[in-house]
Amino acid sequence: MKIVVCIKQVPETNNVKIDPVTHNLDRRGLAGVMNPFDKNAVELALNLKDTTGAEVALLTMGPDDYAESVREGMAMGADSGYLLSDRAFAGADTLATGYVIAQALKKIGDADLILFGRQAVDADTGQVGPIVAEFLNQPQITYAASLRMSGPNEVTAERLLEDTKQTLVAQLPAVVSVRSELNTPRYPTPRNIQLSFEKPLTVWHHDDLDLDDTRLGQSGSPTVVTKVYAPEPVKRELTPLTGTPSEAASQLIKALKEHQLI
Amino acid sequence: MSKPELWVIAERRLDHIEPTTQQLITKARDLAGNSFKTVVILLEATADHLEDELTPYGPDEIRVVRDDRFPTATDAEHADALQQLVETYHPNGILFGATITGRSIAPRLQAKLQTGLTADALGLRYDGETLIAVKPSYGDNIMCEITIPERRPQMVTVRPNTFVAEEAAGTAEVTTTTVTFHPVDRLQVTAATPVVNTATTVGDASRVVALGRGAASAAMVNHATQLAEKLGGRIGVSRPLTDQDRFTHDDQIGQSGNTIHPELIINFGISGAVQFLVGMQDAKTIVAVNSDPDAPIFDVADYGYVGDAQTFMTALLAQFN
Amino acid sequence: MPSTTAAAEKLLLQMVDDYTEREISPQDMPMDKAGDFPAGFIQKLTNTGFLGIMLPQEFGGAGFGPEVTADVLNHIARGNASTAVTLEGHFKTIDQILKYGTPALQKALLPSATDRIFAFSMTEASGGSNPMGIGSTATREGDHWVITGDKIMITNGGLAQVYCVLVKTAPKELSVFVVDQDMPGFSFGKREDFLGLKGTPVGEIVMDHIIVDDDHLLGKVGDGGIIGDSAHDDARILMGAVLTGIMEHDLKIATDYAKERKAGDTPLTDLQVTHRKVADIAMRKETTKLLYQKAAQLKAAGQPYSEEAAMAKAHGSRAAVSAGDDTLQILAGYGYSREYPVEHLIRDARAMEIAEGTVEKMRSAIAKAEFNK
Repeated sequence: MKIVVCIKQVPETNNVKIDPVTHNLDRRGLAGVMNPFDKNAVELALNLKDTTGAEVALLTMGPDDYAESVREGMAMGADSGYLLSDRAFAGADTLATGYVIAQALKKIGDADLILFGRQAVDADTGQVGPIVAEFLNQPQITYAASLRMSGPNEVTAERLLEDTKQTLVAQLPAVVSVRSELNTPRYPTPRNIQLSFEKPLTVWHHDDLDLDDTRLGQSGSPTVVTKVYAPEPVKRELTPLTGTPSEAASQLIKALKEHQLI
Repeated sequence: MSKPELWVIAERRLDHIEPTTQQLITKARDLAGNSFKTVVILLEATADHLEDELTPYGPDEIRVVRDDRFPTATDAEHADALQQLVETYHPNGILFGATITGRSIAPRLQAKLQTGLTADALGLRYDGETLIAVKPSYGDNIMCEITIPERRPQMVTVRPNTFVAEEAAGTAEVTTTTVTFHPVDRLQVTAATPVVNTATTVGDASRVVALGRGAASAAMVNHATQLAEKLGGRIGVSRPLTDQDRFTHDDQIGQSGNTIHPELIINFGISGAVQFLVGMQDAKTIVAVNSDPDAPIFDVADYGYVGDAQTFMTALLAQFN
Repeated sequence: MPSTTAAAEKLLLQMVDDYTEREISPQDMPMDKAGDFPAGFIQKLTNTGFLGIMLPQEFGGAGFGPEVTADVLNHIARGNASTAVTLEGHFKTIDQILKYGTPALQKALLPSATDRIFAFSMTEASGGSNPMGIGSTATREGDHWVITGDKIMITNGGLAQVYCVLVKTAPKELSVFVVDQDMPGFSFGKREDFLGLKGTPVGEIVMDHIIVDDDHLLGKVGDGGIIGDSAHDDARILMGAVLTGIMEHDLKIATDYAKERKAGDTPLTDLQVTHRKVADIAMRKETTKLLYQKAAQLKAAGQPYSEEAAMAKAHGSRAAVSAGDDTLQILAGYGYSREYPVEHLIRDARAMEIAEGTVEKMRSAIAKAEFNK
């Protein structure tokens, strides 16, 4: 069995600031790290590797320094990595990103299971997984809370909707995105960090893939970011709950109902 | 010439309409003004009448497609049906709730239509025929305005409970239409069971009951557990309570614990040290219960009760059913 | 692209920071209260490969160099000093086996250093680290040695399974042997109840006619003094790193607090008295960091580093006690409260004015090195 985990490198988010003059994101001095949610997908793949002997490859698209996150995933235990890096890919939104990822997956070939984290902590969309599933014409299970092999070529997963637990059975190949509560990702051990530098990391540029140039990068992206700004702090006005505890409680319940919170 | 259509994709939760749909209808009416026609797309089983839960909110039209396979259809099957409708009616914009379901179907449809999709919007407005969506990034630390200038439809998923649903006058026209259902045999939904609470940690709970030093008794913890269950949420604590055996660092809210963004947090016996507040002040609705009227927690709260936490909790639980 | 070494070191420190934040920091306060590592804590550290960070790859370790190894302890100590000191005791012992052990001993013993903690023991009840006060002996009998004696105040004593022991092989002749807790005649004595570094066990071992062969001798007979000094040097670099981490922890607490609090209507960050304290903490931290990193650089380059290592520890230990004291004063009542970590950071730092040679001995060593220039 072959598993490909699609990962993204993200800035450490706590420090993101807006440049007060240019209104652009100020990413200076921000370390790039593997998207924390993607580690759950890597862990799931490594679990399946431990139990079924699956081969695990990592795939990412981004500048050359995204190799660091691929290395980290290989230090966790993945067998190989692919980095899709080209100026032509820059500025891609989820649609243009999903296209290049899907084309790379076609070139890698014969992946039985394609895994994603639930979303990236920078853009917070979670869209690339379903887009890739659509482009590859594969079934998808999003936000999986558990997943197991239930047959030689079949997975059974649970998905938690807001108030419903679904059980889904998929014939492979399939695309799965995972909830972060699915597992606790392992740490790369110091020794495996060193040994990861002996594992193969393949870099593919524009000409290595079969691509329609009109679907790439900024020009292939339907969405445009027209403005970036820091959110205004929420201004709150205190509504006192008054009277006896019982009266105050009923005021609260009424208010929560109005807000559809209960 | 007929007005361009702004769609709201209705979502079902078991036998009911997911409340975000109603919120989006109200917002869509507001956005549409006299320039657009608001159309709700409802995919339901032949015996269903979920449109009855939508008409009071006053969309211009509810367009119903019936097939007994819809209630258990997979994301790809839903997206396929919607694609057929889009190619028939050519809407200008499509709004989905940014629920798990909405966030799963919308990008598949986007890929089919080769158009743009903005995720998890907190704000929407039209500039002419261009829909401008306000999207949070970096864990809500940054806001982006995103447009889809050239391609149609303009697709957006909208965060639940961002807008308030309001019933409206006017009679929605209920129409029916058909699509060809293309089953995907390789994926089956084999079971769907209701669960009260899908949150497994305080970090992913949409409703949080927070306990502090002034609400640390065993009885209080017991009551808070019941309240959290009823709300479908989790208990979170301020730092002093992590010393109790039943709470760990994972349950802690605040600078040295979890930063949370729930829709509702009810704080009992928490005075509101800065270290705590930074972990929860982005909550959508904040309720505070504390015996000290000068407690800083009241400065950030939407609703406040000054008095004994235990008494208020008892009264709240008693009325909850 | 950065070199493979730099890229690996960056990944290592990233992993260490992540592990420290999630697994180590949350245990800092509980550890101080309980006076021990929590159950399973060391096992998890072991499973994650921490014990093998500086062990060469041929023995199953990761083979990281002295500089990044010291940085790792610095980063861990930002969350908890006891964990870092336990690793310090282990690493300095491995260093001596690498420097002075026979190939046969290294091959037999070092692969187990990835999952067993090693310790180096010098002190005896008859007096400090004073070599001439040592009463433990190794006596030649036929083709083997018989070791008898009692060692106390061993960092990781009771937790470690392998011990380098400084013993007399003749009335004025010191040698170092390696013994294993599984050897007949080996037993543990009491654990010390110390002021700080409450997680790290410090304890006693008792050796009653333990029989070892020549391969368990480090270096030559009579090399005990040299090897003991070498162990001190290696430990002192790492202690400089641990002390830097403690001061970084102080600095974070002090600045976070000052940014949030007011004295009357004036934010603490606008008060000159706060400026002075915070600046002093920052300068103490930075000088200690430069000192340990310089010593580690010299070690990595194969140059003498004894004097710089002594400076890192002598300067760093007093600096960290003072930094903790200043932090406590900024936090006032909260600083003095045992609900907050500041007071135990002072107690943790205070240990390092004594362990691995007192600050007075450090100054003598530094002064002698200067006289000899």
